[in-house]
Amino acid sequence: MTECNYDEIMQLLCDRLSTLTSSETAITADTNLISELSIDSIKLLNLIMEIEDSFDISIPINALADVQTVHELASLISRIKSAH
Amino acid sequence: MSSTITKLNAPLTQAFDFQPSSELQIIPTPTRNTLAQQLAGFDTLTNALEYAAQGITGYNFYDAKGNLRSVLSYNLLRQNARALAQRLSGFNLIRGSRVAIIADTSPEFVELFFACRYAGLVPFAMPVPVNLGSHGIYVQQLKGMLDSSEASLAFANIDYINFLEEASAKISNLKWTGTPAQLRELPAKDVALEPNSPNEVAYLQFTSGSTRMPRGVVITEHALMCNLQGIVRNGLEIKPDDRSASWLPFYHDMGLVGLVLAPMVTQISVDYLATRDFAIRPLQWLKLISRNRCTVAFSQPFGLKLCTMRVRESDLKELDLSCWRAAGIGAEMIRPDTLRNFADKFSSAGFKSNAFLPCYGLAESTLAVTFSKIGSGFHSIQIDTKTLIDKRMAVRLQTAGRKYNEFVNCGQPLPGHTVKVVDENGLQIEERMVGSVLVQGASIMTGYYNNPKETQKALKPDNWLDTGDIGFLYEGDLYITGRRTDVIIVNGRNIRAQDIEELAEQQPEVRSREASAFGVNDTAGTTTIVLVIECRLTSATERNSLIKRLQQLVYMAFGVNCIVELVSPHTLPRTSSGKLSRFAARQGYIQRTNLNDQLSVVESGDR
Repeated sequence: MTECNYDEIMQLLCDRLSTLTSSETAITADTNLISELSIDSIKLLNLIMEIEDSFDISIPINALADVQTVHELASLISRIKSAH
Repeated sequence: MSSTITKLNAPLTQAFDFQPSSELQIIPTPTRNTLAQQLAGFDTLTNALEYAAQGITGYNFYDAKGNLRSVLSYNLLRQNARALAQRLSGFNLIRGSRVAIIADTSPEFVELFFACRYAGLVPFAMPVPVNLGSHGIYVQQLKGMLDSSEASLAFANIDYINFLEEASAKISNLKWTGTPAQLRELPAKDVALEPNSPNEVAYLQFTSGSTRMPRGVVITEHALMCNLQGIVRNGLEIKPDDRSASWLPFYHDMGLVGLVLAPMVTQISVDYLATRDFAIRPLQWLKLISRNRCTVAFSQPFGLKLCTMRVRESDLKELDLSCWRAAGIGAEMIRPDTLRNFADKFSSAGFKSNAFLPCYGLAESTLAVTFSKIGSGFHSIQIDTKTLIDKRMAVRLQTAGRKYNEFVNCGQPLPGHTVKVVDENGLQIEERMVGSVLVQGASIMTGYYNNPKETQKALKPDNWLDTGDIGFLYEGDLYITGRRTDVIIVNGRNIRAQDIEELAEQQPEVRSREASAFGVNDTAGTTTIVLVIECRLTSATERNSLIKRLQQLVYMAFGVNCIVELVSPHTLPRTSSGKLSRFAARQGYIQRTNLNDQLSVVESGDR
């Protein structure tokens, strides 16, 4: 169940990220949000709002300090989602 | 990866389990008090709280969805703070010892802050981590503050205790690190709580994210009381039916002094939203103002921009902002367009543009220096650009069609304070001439804690504080035209150029004094950070790796993107004493990149 969630989350994240960034880089699990996608603070706020709205969760701010890659963000969301 | 998840485990549980059983019954503290209002004029913070505790007003904390989560009346705050102070006394610290508290927007922070004052200790607020991937750098920043403040105790609630424990390792002065809940478990020491004196230090305020050289502003009870009195009597003209709403972080001077302490010394109620929740859904702040009929709410210009940008037209009909009489704006340079756009958007929701209240201040002067006239909205002046640049003189635009700069009137100093503008030699210059802004008065800090070098730079003879800002006086009113090149403001955050250069110099490829950071603006006023490095690397791969690494580090530390330019050694201009000149470095960069059209440079920096 969690695995399935993770894949869905990953898919949604990749879709959102590719529209948020004009970057040509193909987005994979290992893509670094900071150095490869240049997610600035405004884009990040939009992304978090969309994630929270789509999954009906709340992402604690302290958790983002350990997120650098798309995979880490997807795992975080999946963990919060399954703890619900 | 799994260790990351394990570490996250503890913080996350709190986010879900926290559900007060009495949720249905809690109601916010009222606006109207049963107690006669006293507008500051107390001699210490604890005396002010003793008075406020006799009424029924206080602090209210709301969650991201706008639901009331906890209520802390001034009465309950007094009770809890005194009880915690008895426990703090058990550590047998000498009066004036520093206590570090990670300041999220919570009742626990406020209780601890006042507990410290009741116990004769000096609290200071540390930030919460806000940037993606910032774990390592955040811990370094905490370490820097714990070290330079020589803190004896350090607190964080359950969400942040892991970071704090990591930072506390090898901090020699630190006796104890824990959560407020752990403090409550300790035995209370049965001692009488000694009254504080006005000359004692009330708190420290850190102003920089520097890991090596954090600066803790020392503010005495007397300075604090003076500044608060000026703010509430002259700046805001607080009345018994006032109520505040705030999303400003408690670890910023405007959030702490302006929206935690100022309401308390006037016994008015406040409704809080966490900064993160505001940033993601700015509408919630406006909803709070509308629903609770709040009258006083402050923001940085960037916060207003977020509201203008991110609140949908369809949300406007839910709002009635006609109650908002003091929309204070400060903490960074105010652009008239930011205010006009906000007023245009929210006028249909009842926002009155005469509520705009531009003000100017800084932590080194407790909080406020000048206020514009309450109730009269914002006023600006159009200044001829050519005269401004050629003669450093502010002359009103005479003929239409000439290029001009528009500056917002920040008003006049609070009573007991004087503002003057000086030239490069420190000599006072006439009205309308542009120079460094200096302030003198009772609200000025005594210095940076344990940092005589920085203190000496900021405090000039006769206790004139050099604000680091550039501006001019016009008919007695202060206009700020910019910052000196040592501070860069991006998205409402003050970032010291030195802190960025320091990050760069920690890289093995970068030698000390070979990095220079500054900001460049595009025509819309957006600032981008540029970091120029003198670099000996020849391989393209190594050069690219350095650029990427530096961009990532700057992002993790400050949450902003930056342009990194590698130049050959001896490119950066130096002063006669061998110091780098950021101003000259910026000029050089502008020439190299042909920055007549600054916009294109900013765009290329987004890569």
